[in-house]
Amino acid sequence: MSQKSLVDLFITFVGRNWQRILWLTGEHLLISLIAVGITVAVCVPLGIYLTRNERAAPYVIGLANVFQTVPSLALLGFLIFVLGIGNDNAICALFLYAMLPVLQNTYTGIRGVPKSYVQAARGMGMTDFQILMKVQFPLALPVLVAGIRVAMVWTIGTATLASAIGGGGLGRLIFSGLSSIRNEIILAGAIPATLLALAADWLLKRAQEYFNPSARAKRLAKRHGMSAETESNSAA
Amino acid sequence: MSTERIASGDGVVFTDVCKIYPDGTRAVDMLNLDIRRGELVSLIGPSGCGKTTTLKMINRLEEPTSGSIVVGGEDVRSSDAVALRRRIGYVVQEIALFPHLTVAENINVVPELLGWSAAKMRGRADELLEMAGLAPERYRYRLPDQLSGGQKQRIGVLRALAADPQVILMDEPFGALDPISRETLQNELVSLQKNLRKTIVFVTHDMDEAIRISDRIAILRKGRVEQIGTPEEIQTAPGNDFIRNFIGEDRLSQMSPDDSVGMLLEEPWAVAAPSESASAVLERMEENDREFIHVVDPKRGVWLGAALLGRVRRAAVAGKSVVESLSRDRKLYLEDAVLRDVAEMLADRDISIPVLDSGERLLGVITSAGLARLAMNRLRGNRTARAAGEKKEGTR
Ligand SMILES: Nc1ncnc2c1ncn2[C@@H]1O[C@H](COP(=O)(O)OP(=O)(O)OP(=O)(O)O)[C@@H](O)[C@H]1O
Ligand SMILES: [Mg+2]
Repeated sequence: MSQKSLVDLFITFVGRNWQRILWLTGEHLLISLIAVGITVAVCVPLGIYLTRNERAAPYVIGLANVFQTVPSLALLGFLIFVLGIGNDNAICALFLYAMLPVLQNTYTGIRGVPKSYVQAARGMGMTDFQILMKVQFPLALPVLVAGIRVAMVWTIGTATLASAIGGGGLGRLIFSGLSSIRNEIILAGAIPATLLALAADWLLKRAQEYFNPSARAKRLAKRHGMSAETESNSAA
Repeated sequence: MSTERIASGDGVVFTDVCKIYPDGTRAVDMLNLDIRRGELVSLIGPSGCGKTTTLKMINRLEEPTSGSIVVGGEDVRSSDAVALRRRIGYVVQEIALFPHLTVAENINVVPELLGWSAAKMRGRADELLEMAGLAPERYRYRLPDQLSGGQKQRIGVLRALAADPQVILMDEPFGALDPISRETLQNELVSLQKNLRKTIVFVTHDMDEAIRISDRIAILRKGRVEQIGTPEEIQTAPGNDFIRNFIGEDRLSQMSPDDSVGMLLEEPWAVAAPSESASAVLERMEENDREFIHVVDPKRGVWLGAALLGRVRRAAVAGKSVVESLSRDRKLYLEDAVLRDVAEMLADRDISIPVLDSGERLLGVITSAGLARLAMNRLRGNRTARAAGEKKEGTR
């Protein structure tokens, strides 16, 4: 098959099946978002909990590490015995798979907040919860978002395997292309999956920048009608 | 045993406080310290002597193992730790301005915890920035990263002042600064303190700093107060070898002609009342072999003059009152007198010099013996120093 004919075939396929591709892309995104959503909802509190119970941390993070290390297809396979086939199974597997970066980054992010800030906050009369919400969490946020970013990109990639256990998403196209040896179908699944991953990465990177303190300070200054001064100033 | 002190303790009062850490470290050992309201007391001592621990027990970042600490008349253990901390300003060496918050937000951490309105907080931040000489419109929305070290620490101090606490704790606040900005901030603190009269507990390991800023200095060693006194007292009469070493021989032998004369004040051997007859006074002077006596109005303590032996004798012969024999030309005022004046006057005529306050009241006298003792203290071993210290007990 020549290069030209692959492109032609691809264009023809997409032309005929664009609605289905779009639908599968949406489904793919939905599965990924749900999986990452659950991961964040579980792992961020869990990571915070671990910073307060350090002795449990190595075990829990070790377990997440195990899930991470098991080949993703094998993990999906195992889960068939537990949850049967379908999207729930896929989401559950993706959740297990995405745990590590979120858990690890929450834990190290919060622990990485210098003790001096925590001490100062306590010395000024913040409660433990206020210290968490006003100091530790905001300072850990860049690390945390970085963890979510990694989890999101991995999940979008791994979600292509979901169709192997009866789930939906762009994996459908890739697997049917593989079994029928039709590269244009593989591409019709692989290209949107890749674009999705890149877009998610870009968006979360923007989010990271948005939460950056200096961006926030600039917004504050602007809101109050002042230009944020960033020029370095003379020493005292 | 010291309950009556607790009642009087308007500032910060430690009574028999011990702190033993869980690992057995005895960080503070039977510490007694009475810091008065409006006073700046420095805690100074070698590393590990328990300065930080002492400070942290005031706002309950550490709990004492035994003993009591009273802040503003209230035992710290009877107040809620969080509420107590919001009532006490706290500045630490690492500055620890929150890097994700703007300057104004950092200043307003405690007001925010106390639920102040946004408008009030904004006004407070501006007011404090102006007080520190930082233009609010320039600095309000800066991040700590965009400040110099000295500016950061200024904000650290403002943050402690924001909710207007009476008591402020400072743990080596200027320790991380270069010598020049350190001195600037020390001077700013002194002038700030002149207006605000906060009760400040200031931990430092820099003796020059302690001398420059403190009303009193407490020298700590192994969790106890080894000596406490005004900077002058500590320098003139170090209690023992340890303190001498700690203060440093350099500093002890440094005596500037521009030093204040306060450290030289002594009780006069006797004073006479203006109503006494010259012959009665003459008798006392001859008995004690003295050449002069100061005459003081017994009601208000106002110095009326010095009576010299020859003139008292003449007045006695004439049967007059002692007032007739007074001379008033030889005197110093505490506010502006320096050692140079004392030395010149004593060289001119070796009799004691009366030192007055601005209301003409007699505060004490300066003798050539006292000046010689001071010189000896600052030049020689500690035995002289201790003797002088005992002698000074009755001073003022
Ligand atoms: N959390 C802790 N657990 C056990 N020991 C401690 C703890 N904090 C301090 N110590 C010990 O208590 C003693 C006094 O410590 P502290 O920090 O009060 O000293 P310091 O006078 O502030 O010293 P430095 O000048 O070095 O800051 C030291 O021996 C120190 O090792
Ligand atoms: Mg310390």
